[in-house]
Amino acid sequence: MKTARQPKYLRTPGRTLDAQLHLLDRQVLDVDGVPVTTVDDIEISAPPPETPIPAGTPAPTLTALLTGPVLGTRIFGGRPPSSRLIRIPWRDVADVGVVIRLGVRGEPLDADWVERWIRDKIIARIPGGRHDPR
Amino acid sequence: MKRLLGVALGVLTAIGGFVDIGDLVTNAVVGSRFGLSLVWVVATGVVGICVFANMSGRVAAASGRATFEVIRERLGPRAGLANLAASFLINLMTVTAELGGIALALQLASSVQYLLWVPVAVVAVWLVIWRVRFSIMENVTGLLGLTLIVFAVALFLLKPDWGSLGAQVLAPSIPEQETAASYWYYAVALFGAAMTPYEVFFFSSGAVEEGWSIKDLAQSRINVLVGFPLGGLLSVSIAACAAVVLLPAGIAVTSLSQVILPVAEAAGKVGLAFVLVGIVAATFGAALETTLSSGYTLAQFFGWSWGKFRRPAQAARFHLSMIICLLIGGAVLATGVDPVLVTEYSVVFSAIALPLTYLPILIVANDPQYMGEHVNGRPVNMVAMIYLVIILAASLAAIPLMIVTGAGS
Repeated sequence: MKTARQPKYLRTPGRTLDAQLHLLDRQVLDVDGVPVTTVDDIEISAPPPETPIPAGTPAPTLTALLTGPVLGTRIFGGRPPSSRLIRIPWRDVADVGVVIRLGVRGEPLDADWVERWIRDKIIARIPGGRHDPR
Repeated sequence: MKRLLGVALGVLTAIGGFVDIGDLVTNAVVGSRFGLSLVWVVATGVVGICVFANMSGRVAAASGRATFEVIRERLGPRAGLANLAASFLINLMTVTAELGGIALALQLASSVQYLLWVPVAVVAVWLVIWRVRFSIMENVTGLLGLTLIVFAVALFLLKPDWGSLGAQVLAPSIPEQETAASYWYYAVALFGAAMTPYEVFFFSSGAVEEGWSIKDLAQSRINVLVGFPLGGLLSVSIAACAAVVLLPAGIAVTSLSQVILPVAEAAGKVGLAFVLVGIVAATFGAALETTLSSGYTLAQFFGWSWGKFRRPAQAARFHLSMIICLLIGGAVLATGVDPVLVTEYSVVFSAIALPLTYLPILIVANDPQYMGEHVNGRPVNMVAMIYLVIILAASLAAIPLMIVTGAGS
């Protein structure tokens, strides 16, 4: 069960992911194929800036995909406080291809809160908002 | 048999859906001022839109990715955002122009002031986007738009001197009362009208909406390669009607009523009825497409859930952004700004924005990671590169020409 949730690249040896080329600005779909967000930035486990790094420290690992206001700071510079970041934990990622697929549903994620809010407060209240077009 | 019907329907809707308010107004203005001496631009634009619409359809079918997702991935957030801002604003301007077109056509049909029709148009467009299935929306507006063929019929009824019309097409020259700068300004405008970027956003997103796979590409290729050129011919007949009736009379088109004047003269009330139905259908169809395109571009850039195949509640931000766009378009028109003027500017700004859309598509259509074995062939790339040069030239020339000519006046 644990291995099924691991990113595919961990199971296929020899595949290297380039953050710029394969992760950043990619569309993220949930387990049902519903768009969740675009990868606005990524978070890695690194020691705080300007601390000396002793030799033999393991390489930092990718901990989460980020979205939300972080897009603004990525474009214009700066860094939002850590508490303001909206994270999609890396363990939820199931596959990295031309899109990034999650192994979980997008609905309960923090990354979807604006969508949920607009749906519940506005769109679902307009008559026909839940009507299936097909 | 069913397949054949499907192909026929696709081709017919592509013809009927080709013409929008930008094509109508620009072709009529050009016909009334320059005769048929700019037909070569329409031909160039039609070939270009065929090449790139096909390409974006293939990208969507092969990778499942629509145009703006690709644009952000390839350009990164900074250039992507600048591109989004430009494309979105120009698209919003086109939405406004199309809404104005619906209202003006309804004014011509009813003699009720067009400003009163604007809210009706806004609500009607929204209702269709909210409730109607994608394929029905496309087919109905496309087929009704076919009534614009009355322009071609009117041209025959006018019994023009075909020899002199042919000479204007084959040996283009600038009429003596016009300057070279305004000739080239309208060349850029016509090119922008024929290649409007929203058609590509819409085409690729439509491919995702309808769930195309590589198998469906053959049919879409026929739709594009047959339907768009015939639609282009329809554009030319609009210009020809203006060239035959309005140019000799010295009437330069500044309103929609002048656009349809030649049809009224040649085909009377019946012709008038057809042309009004056609204009309402064409502008309504284009209003739907541009409004959806504004939702598509935003949703694809930010990674929101989008698509008419989902319930509105499952694509909430997508639907809310389209509602806001329609309200802005309606509000702009409510200021009393002339919709024909908005149209004329929107096609020139479209020309300026062309490279922003077409370059990223060309790059991704050559990327095997997305396309697998369906990457561009060498001939397609050659044609696309030539077009990139033309597009760039038109884009760079647009603003200087606009300043020199005082926007063509």
